[in-house]
Amino acid sequence: MEKVEKTIEQIYEEAFKEIKFATDSESIKALSIRYLGRKGIITNFLRNISNLPPEKRPEVGKRVNEVKKSLDKAFKHALKRLETKPSQKDYRIDVSLPGRTIQQGSLHPITQITWQICEILEKIGFDIAEGPEVETDHYNFEALNIPKNHPARDMQDTFYISDNIVLRTHTSSIQVRIMEKLTPPVRVIAPGKVYRCDSDLTHTPMFHQVEGLMVDEGISFGDLKGILTTFIHHMFDEKTTLRFRPSFFPFTEPSAEVDILCVMCRGKGCRVCSHTGWLEVIGAGMVHPAVFENVGYDTTRYTGLAFGMGVERIAMLKYGIDDIRKFFENDSRFLRQF
Amino acid sequence: MKVSLSWLNDYIPIDKESYSNIADSLTMVGLEVDSVTDRYDYLDSVVVGRILNIKTHPNAEKLKVCDVDIGSRVIRIVCGAPNIYEDMVAPTALQGTRFPEGYVLKKGRIRNELSEGMLCSEAELGLGTDRSGVMILDQKQLTGNKLAKTLELSDMVFEIDLTPNRPDCLSIIGLAREIAALQQTTIKYPETLLSDSGDKISDLTSITIKAPDLCPRYSARLVFDINIAPSPFWLQDRLMSVGLRPINNIVDITNFVLMETGQPLHAFDFDRLSDHRIVVRQAKKGETFITLDKKKHLLTPDMLMICDGEKPVALAGIMGGHNSEVTESTTRVLIESAYFTPVGIRKTSKKLGISSESSHRFERGVDPGGIITALNRAAQLMSELDGSSLIKGIIDKYSKINNTGPITLNVEHTNRLLGISFDQDKIENLLKSIEFNVEKTGNDELAVVPPSFRVDIARPVDLMEEIARLSGYNNIPSTYPLIPAEARHPEKQLRLKNRVKRIMTGFGFTETINYSFINKLSCDRLRLESADQKRNMVDILNPLTEEQAVMRTSLIPGLLETIRRNIAQQIKSLRLFEVGKSYIGREKDNLPEEIEMLAGILTGSRTNASWYSKESDCNFFDIKGAVEGLLNRVKIDPIKFTCMPDNLCTYTRPGHTAQILQEKKLIGLAGEIHPQVLRNFDLKQAAFIFELDLKAISDLIPLTIRSKQIPKFPSISRDITIIINKDLESSKLSETIRKSGEKLIENLYLFDVFEGNTIPQNKKSISMRITYRSKHKTLEDDEVNYIHKNITDRLLKEFDALLPA
Ligand SMILES: [Zn+2]
Repeated sequence: MEKVEKTIEQIYEEAFKEIKFATDSESIKALSIRYLGRKGIITNFLRNISNLPPEKRPEVGKRVNEVKKSLDKAFKHALKRLETKPSQKDYRIDVSLPGRTIQQGSLHPITQITWQICEILEKIGFDIAEGPEVETDHYNFEALNIPKNHPARDMQDTFYISDNIVLRTHTSSIQVRIMEKLTPPVRVIAPGKVYRCDSDLTHTPMFHQVEGLMVDEGISFGDLKGILTTFIHHMFDEKTTLRFRPSFFPFTEPSAEVDILCVMCRGKGCRVCSHTGWLEVIGAGMVHPAVFENVGYDTTRYTGLAFGMGVERIAMLKYGIDDIRKFFENDSRFLRQF
Repeated sequence: MKVSLSWLNDYIPIDKESYSNIADSLTMVGLEVDSVTDRYDYLDSVVVGRILNIKTHPNAEKLKVCDVDIGSRVIRIVCGAPNIYEDMVAPTALQGTRFPEGYVLKKGRIRNELSEGMLCSEAELGLGTDRSGVMILDQKQLTGNKLAKTLELSDMVFEIDLTPNRPDCLSIIGLAREIAALQQTTIKYPETLLSDSGDKISDLTSITIKAPDLCPRYSARLVFDINIAPSPFWLQDRLMSVGLRPINNIVDITNFVLMETGQPLHAFDFDRLSDHRIVVRQAKKGETFITLDKKKHLLTPDMLMICDGEKPVALAGIMGGHNSEVTESTTRVLIESAYFTPVGIRKTSKKLGISSESSHRFERGVDPGGIITALNRAAQLMSELDGSSLIKGIIDKYSKINNTGPITLNVEHTNRLLGISFDQDKIENLLKSIEFNVEKTGNDELAVVPPSFRVDIARPVDLMEEIARLSGYNNIPSTYPLIPAEARHPEKQLRLKNRVKRIMTGFGFTETINYSFINKLSCDRLRLESADQKRNMVDILNPLTEEQAVMRTSLIPGLLETIRRNIAQQIKSLRLFEVGKSYIGREKDNLPEEIEMLAGILTGSRTNASWYSKESDCNFFDIKGAVEGLLNRVKIDPIKFTCMPDNLCTYTRPGHTAQILQEKKLIGLAGEIHPQVLRNFDLKQAAFIFELDLKAISDLIPLTIRSKQIPKFPSISRDITIIINKDLESSKLSETIRKSGEKLIENLYLFDVFEGNTIPQNKKSISMRITYRSKHKTLEDDEVNYIHKNITDRLLKEFDALLPA
């Protein structure tokens, strides 16, 4: 009998100790079940009370019920405490552990630069158009005032599919297709893949261009300069000055090469700009009347401006990439940088 | 095109010091100067030396061993020159010197005696013709000083990258004209004073043009009593200044005049011409010809040949013949100066693969007005050679070369196109500065006749370019066009393409861009059957490599190559995609069909080993999940994945491939790469791919989005587990449930598949949860139980299914 009484007091004490040391609500719940659950220690104790002499039963029973109530209270209290206060364990998570990975993929740098180019030009008022990459000699050359057996054909090393079909060497091939479809005013840009049979540090047989074309009454060479200046200032920054040099493209007259102040050395001269301080980035000009004649536009009424740029070239300058071939090797360590 | 300032200085005053300004201004008028170098750079390692003492070479009688003071130290030189003496001051080349004749000096032993340099003759240094002995320098020169500095040798050479429209600048005079316009100086053309005498040329030779279309003009002169010898030094020097190597007086003169005037000339050995006459005709079929580089060519009838009385002697405008070239024994030459039609020259040059200084100029167009000038210039120079005599007269055969009349230039049009406001006088002056003939024909108009050498000028707009070019593009003010505030709808497919790229990167896929051309063997590597339309490849006639020989008909080979390259770099887990075209060939002379595709590839692990999860490999359901996610995002619904019949896709693993259908339309596929295909691409780990036709998807995307009410009443879910045949596609169950037409079904999803253990063989257990909801009321349990039971019964009946025990 002594023993039993002692035991209930011991249980009581131990339970309180355990409640005190419990650090989270889960363990309190577990303790509560262990002591007060259907098969719990206290319940068991009550069940075994019948083994006591009858006269002792009410006293012990009373005591056990007291203990039970008090423990129940203690559990509830502890639970409340632990649920409202952050537990010690929760409090001490190792925040330096790596998070559960959520990794976005990356867009190819050429896509990113193409989008940037298009975005700026769309703001200026150009619409985007696309065209075939395998193109007729007519659209790629003839209609652009580059007849067969003309030395201007040497300006681009062409991949041939047949005598009359080529891989387009420039996105300028879209110019004629667009003008055949639309009447002025025409304002389109054409991004896309182009092909030339050339391969080294600065040339890949496939690369990307964005071509721009604007035709309306009264479009001038001054407008061409204005548009390209705005474009370059947005693509690079306002300090990037432009230089227009006379050049030759069969489908524009006058034709110009547009140089920008070297973005690497700011004109002081470096390896990237071959120590000239300038970088050639855009070919441009006023649409040649022969091209208008080929699409049936009235050359006395309309004038137009056209320009084209290599996306890889701009991407290399913007990202400091020194080998154009990297764009198409698709090494994920390269791609993931952008 | 190379040009030296010293040569330019023959025609216009050149301020040597301001060479970089000249280069810049040439670039800015459209004649891009690629590089500026000093032609005497090769003298950089040649210094002034003084011979301290001379001893006889122990092993060679004719050689001497000298100690030479080169300022910083004394070096030993073995020398064979007869004119050396002690205390002589002489140019001393040190090791590494590259002589104009091509030889590079190395330190070495001559007959067992060390020689650390070389005492040089004038000729060896390219400073004169004397090679009889070592060049003697003034005693007062300081040893160790650089020779170029000592002799004040400096001559800047511009390398000019000319555009094809400016053949007139393929000559020193052409460039001098441009510089004269820039400097506002006048050009001094070389004077040609001919003294011809004796026999009349027409008594000695004749010229017959049988192909006037290809050769509108052919002129010739004869020079006799020639003594073939090295050219006088001034002539050699001019040629060397632009990088040409002197050969002999006659060849050098033709080259000199070519460089000076841009008109290619040819000198025939008159005595090697049968019948002493020239016939210009097209080649005969099967005729062959050996050019002076001793190469034999098979001719075709479209090629123009210069012939003598019986045989071809030159490939017109391209290269002379071996059978008529000037040799050491030549004494009489016929000088040819002609105009050949550019297209003809270009065709022949391309066909035979020969390109020469001559063909380069003819195919761009030489000055039709400069033919006789050049001929006379060469004749004069040849007649000035010792002993030679110029035969009286000239033969000049020509049909008319089309001359364009005056071009009418409207001042207002010019100003409007360029965005400037020049007056008539300003325009007149600009054009006159480059020798255009300009006449005012009205208040606002000019009649302009370009000089004959400007073969590129045909239209008013060409003149406008000249005006812009000469006044400076950078002086034209920037303006902005007045454009209407209107916009066209963007092309649907273009928009989709960009959207798809964003969604895919959101799913963790990285974008790649692979070459559009692939190896032709890719078809076999993909195990394509002979009738597969992917075998209709577009061949490139002139591919760079076998790896890039045909246009791709699928994005898969490129992606497989890409993962192979990455895996080789130890990057073994990859999620990549590409948006690009595949090109399906059609009948000859038709453009191929270009199909815009989206393809993705997965390989390696889905999750890396980490503190919160174990490493696990990706599988079919990862790639399928990506496709479902994508199609869901672009709101294409419903989508069905069914097993791909094994023979329909040969590059994916049978039984592990799905075709993707929208209604009955096939829009793509998803599956595991066939093990054999993996081996064919040198891959050792499984890869999962999908391909979608973007055009098809673009057509399926709903044009508008209509928002729906969010439900007001609660839903009730019920699970169903049934046992069906193992090979039944689970999607059949959901289709049946959906087809039951029960409107209260809001959603259903499959949450468990189980095989084995208590499930009979060849069976599987499928568990699905169906969510029921009404738009109008809270559903009662009984109502839902009734519907759910009906559905269950229907499934049991339709699929011969069982309920779990
Ligand atoms: Zn730079």
